[in-house]
Amino acid sequence: MARSSGTPSDFNIVQTYRRLLAEDEELTMPVAAIEALIEGLANTPASTVSETLDLVQKLTAQLKQRIPNSISLSAGTDLFQQYLISNLQRPSDRGDFDQIRTHLVQNGKLFVERAKAARETIAGFGRHFIRDGDVVLTNGGSRVVGSLLRSAAESSNNRGSIRFKVIYVISPNKTAEEDESTANIAALRERDIPVATIPSTAVAYCIDQVTQCFVGAEGVVENGGIVSRMGTYQIGMLAKAAGRPFYVVSESHKFVRLYPINQHDLGIEQDVVDFKTSKGSVKDDGAADVRGGDDEGVADVEGTERSGTKGAISAPHEAVDYTPPHLISGIITESGVLLPSAVSEELIKIWF
Amino acid sequence: MSETTPDHDPPRVNEQKLTPAELKKRAKAEKQARRAAQKDQKPEEEGPPPAAEPANGINGESKTPQKNSSAPQQQQQQQQKPKAEKQQKAQQQKPGKQGAQEAEPHHKRTGSQQMPLRRRPSQSGAQPKAPVKTKKDNKQVELFSHLYTQPRRHTIEGVSKDVHPAVLALGFQISSYEICGSSARCVAMLLAFKEAIQEYTTPVGTSLARHLTSHYLSPQIDFLKSCRPISESMGNAIRWLKKLIVEIDPSTPEQEAKDELCERIDTFIRERITVTDQAIAASACQQIKNGSVVLTYAKSSIVEKTILEAHAKGTQFRVIVVDSRPLLEGKRQATTLMHAGLEVEYVPFSGIPHAVKHATVVLLGAHSMLSNGCLQSRIGTAAVAMHATKRDIPVIVCCESVKFSGKVALDSIVLNEVAPAEELLLPSKPTPSRPAPKDSSEDEAEAKPKTLEDWKDIPHLQLLNLMYDVTPAEYVRMVICEYGSLPPSSVPVVHRLANEGM
Repeated sequence: MARSSGTPSDFNIVQTYRRLLAEDEELTMPVAAIEALIEGLANTPASTVSETLDLVQKLTAQLKQRIPNSISLSAGTDLFQQYLISNLQRPSDRGDFDQIRTHLVQNGKLFVERAKAARETIAGFGRHFIRDGDVVLTNGGSRVVGSLLRSAAESSNNRGSIRFKVIYVISPNKTAEEDESTANIAALRERDIPVATIPSTAVAYCIDQVTQCFVGAEGVVENGGIVSRMGTYQIGMLAKAAGRPFYVVSESHKFVRLYPINQHDLGIEQDVVDFKTSKGSVKDDGAADVRGGDDEGVADVEGTERSGTKGAISAPHEAVDYTPPHLISGIITESGVLLPSAVSEELIKIWF
Repeated sequence: MSETTPDHDPPRVNEQKLTPAELKKRAKAEKQARRAAQKDQKPEEEGPPPAAEPANGINGESKTPQKNSSAPQQQQQQQQKPKAEKQQKAQQQKPGKQGAQEAEPHHKRTGSQQMPLRRRPSQSGAQPKAPVKTKKDNKQVELFSHLYTQPRRHTIEGVSKDVHPAVLALGFQISSYEICGSSARCVAMLLAFKEAIQEYTTPVGTSLARHLTSHYLSPQIDFLKSCRPISESMGNAIRWLKKLIVEIDPSTPEQEAKDELCERIDTFIRERITVTDQAIAASACQQIKNGSVVLTYAKSSIVEKTILEAHAKGTQFRVIVVDSRPLLEGKRQATTLMHAGLEVEYVPFSGIPHAVKHATVVLLGAHSMLSNGCLQSRIGTAAVAMHATKRDIPVIVCCESVKFSGKVALDSIVLNEVAPAEELLLPSKPTPSRPAPKDSSEDEAEAKPKTLEDWKDIPHLQLLNLMYDVTPAEYVRMVICEYGSLPPSSVPVVHRLANEGM
């Protein structure tokens, strides 16, 4: 964290964020964003409250602009901003500005530790949802779902009574995501839990033998829905149609102040649906939903910066979808198991 | 006899409008009542009516059976000649009515209910009341009888002298829909109260905090209530104002206290309604994208503001305004939007399924948001929301937190407002031409086929003009208030925060 101090322009928030994520595999995106912001704060000499807030806002904007899918990290940056606002602007604390700042900078690691500990707490809550003979359906490489299932497997080993099976939905493409799920699968198999891997096209085929679904989330949005890896929504729909409980496992720092009303309202550009003729892609500009000015900015940045990897963004395995709250039976967080409707209450508590 | 006649007069005036079934029922009730009266007459009539009664009384005393047959006929003939004819008609309509009357379980039940009453000395007094009551209830829909208050006040007659002229004027504006809409009424009420408070002087021997609410503000509120039931936002504002008044330090000089109150009212209007509206419009207009087709129902100032703001931002979109009778509020909204240069489609209520086909988002205003997440809004809103939800079109409600309510409703029956049924009549009918022939010759009027205008004379016809309906929470995808976007399930949280925590 000790870096040569300099102006904000010297400090590259995006690089820091990427480095943090690469350094620690266990780190989630919101936490990495918070850590990056704290580092940014430590690297820049801001002496007043408004200067600090301004800096944080600027860094956040930079980060959001450069990362194609900013939903998950914005949960962290919003939380951090709100923390700053409520702590720095209180009149009584005004005098202790420097103290708060140093405290914040010094305790950045503490926050990360807590976030990781939350995962264990969640696993503790969640493993009671798995009973003897259950067949659990899950997808993606969510770390928190992995730790929940591992924890359930271990508790079954201790008591020697709980036996469950896992159906893992994996994407057919060989990607980095799959490595994560491979790690989870390997860990489960090591613990004597039978794991079947199926492509997402087979979910409906085997939904009848599934007893419940657990999925991770990139972000839990205000109405209790989740933004998660592409394919989660259809699992949710199938689970609902089959009457199977569909649980979301997520740390509460992934609660994000975003309220999508449908799939196209996530505030990020995803070229999932790409109409083509033999001449190439058809872009109908009139009907395409063009969002606010900021988002167009995102598109431009992407276009210039990542034009080489453009194809990768539109690939379904990096894309996300939105699962509406009525498909979700419960959200398992470190502060308890919540109904989707409770997410909004939690957010209101934080923000007002 | 002469003393009973006036008792029977009022019902007879109205009685042409009775339905055959009611006539039948009443005939039976009267018959029983008469029987009872004859039995009770002697003890009762010994005192006051010496002129016509003595013979009858003696008769009754000596030979009761004879009287049962003769006296009723006498009464019927003497008091109720026109009614008797009607009764006969009614009886003719149902052959064998006398026998059937006894056999039908329904009639038997009413009969048995009245049997014990017959013995009571007070029976003769109750006798004329029964028909009057059925007459009154006749045009009120039974299921909603709890919603019928006294008719809306349109005159100054009988108003408490304490009511301030500004409040008086407001009351009539409200009752005539001159000022319509929950927020508008709330703002107007607060402004009127401001004026009223300025002209208030605390009587000697009491303090403003103790006297103002109960003795000065209450009559104003009662008057407004008599003009039209108050809305949820008005209720919340009144609650806030009362709390504010109670909290005034009694030692504060009167003028200072009044100025303080007025200032706080201004702040309330600004913070809870004016600025809030802007915030909501700014947030809601982000839901309108290029190429959107916005569907609205009736009129909501906040929805209008949202649409105009999105238009001002340069978003290219289209608006469909669905409207319904009797207020046709959507017409005004459509006109405003049209003048602003928007592409507007005006669709009648019957065209909802068609309108919904093209819509991409539904924006609705609210009368009130209930604590179970249900939306209470202009009647017809639920149908619009239902159609939209069926086609998976997001339904977004724009609502200030001052309209959030702690109440809960599962249907539109318990909480609602019944407006005058006359509003449902088609305005196109030239009303002055109708009464003219009626006055000149009654036969001609009778010969004419009855129209809806004569709904009061048409048996079995009741008109129900409800103001609101309740949209279930599952039809509402998002509620936009000044605290941000919420799922409907978070309404109680914000209500506690905004309306009870202040």
